[in-house]
Amino acid sequence: MTTVSMTVNGQTVTKDIDPRTLLVQFVREHLRLTGTHVGCDTSQCGACVVHLDGVSVKACTTLAVQADGGVVTTIEGIAQGAQLHPMQEAFREHHGLQCGYCTPGMIMSAIDIVNRKGTDLDEATIREELDGNICRCTGYHNIVKAVMAGAQAMAAGGMRQAAE
Amino acid sequence: MAVTSIGERVTRKEDHRFITGKGRYTDDINRPGQTFAVFVRSPHAAATIRTINASKALAMPGVLAVLTGDDLATDNVGGLICGWMIHSKDGTPMKAGPHPALAQGKVRYVGDHVAVVIAETLAQAKDAAEAVAVDYEVGKAVVDVASALTKGAPAVHDVAPDNRVFSWHLGDKAATDAAFAKAKHVTSLDIVNNRLIPNPMEPRAAVGDYDSGSDAFTLYTTSQNPHVARLVLSAFIGIAPEHKLRVVAPDVGVGFGS
Repeated sequence: MTTVSMTVNGQTVTKDIDPRTLLVQFVREHLRLTGTHVGCDTSQCGACVVHLDGVSVKACTTLAVQADGGVVTTIEGIAQGAQLHPMQEAFREHHGLQCGYCTPGMIMSAIDIVNRKGTDLDEATIREELDGNICRCTGYHNIVKAVMAGAQAMAAGGMRQAAE
Repeated sequence: MAVTSIGERVTRKEDHRFITGKGRYTDDINRPGQTFAVFVRSPHAAATIRTINASKALAMPGVLAVLTGDDLATDNVGGLICGWMIHSKDGTPMKAGPHPALAQGKVRYVGDHVAVVIAETLAQAKDAAEAVAVDYEVGKAVVDVASALTKGAPAVHDVAPDNRVFSWHLGDKAATDAAFAKAKHVTSLDIVNNRLIPNPMEPRAAVGDYDSGSDAFTLYTTSQNPHVARLVLSAFIGIAPEHKLRVVAPDVGVGFGS
């Protein structure tokens, strides 16, 4: 067993864990934050994307011990109370989800795209940057619309970083 | 705001929990005192199981049980049924092999389930699964339909020694034969239907909850048809009578027919 300590969605947590524990297992099982999903075992699908120290990572391929001392933001941490993050609103408004399983990862990746590429995103950039996120329901069409609109809404709100 | 016109846009009701990460998919459901199952799977495409030695696994921390196909047979747990009986052209019923949840006697594909380890944590179950020793007599495998139908190909299921489950036709044979007989030109084609792997984003998951107080079972599972699941589990697999078995499909990361 080893001890890890990190800030998750603004709260400091310290747990004793098996050192093999993945970050996705840590948030899901030790913190009961089940919004981050496991969709594959090959790190291709992106359902597990979270932000670690301000950048998107695949939590299924990150050991919890690698996040020791770090700042983690999950899908549960981006809204401000009842006020949703503009990217979340955009996914709802533009029907960017059906079953919802890929959605947390899509939203976290989308916010990271804006952080890195700015708020004026074109379709080609969005499609390229979402290469690491797989959706089996939507055909991506409305996800692209949602990301574009969410990015513009983030500009209007003066945001470029996920809420902590 | 009330919707008043036909064709007016209506927002979905379920989106809020999905976009906030508050969906309740099967693996999000946790029951107090739950245990974890990890399967021991065959590395061989075709083999006879000689012995399964679980003694080392059973002695490992947190391990509660190691179950095999023999245990299923002892407890009269049935296998999966085929929902549609087909009769061949000669009127004989199709020759379908059994599908028990854990292999009985033989393994028939790489990954075939041979044993299941139940332990208090997932890590303990994974470690113990690696300690289950299975002695296989490796056989010859055949992995594509064309090869399986050639003379001398190994039989995958004893019930179908020529690997042909059924040979089926539908329609008016006399009229069809007559049309072919007077056709100017006849072409024959072999058409292959590829395997269908719908591959939804959510992996298969199940949580089984037994309440000894009421002798009742609840299964949470990624299913498109929980009522059918309950029927099959009750009538054919024999878990419990239907009024003692509840099957819940919570939020499901789609199925596309799988």
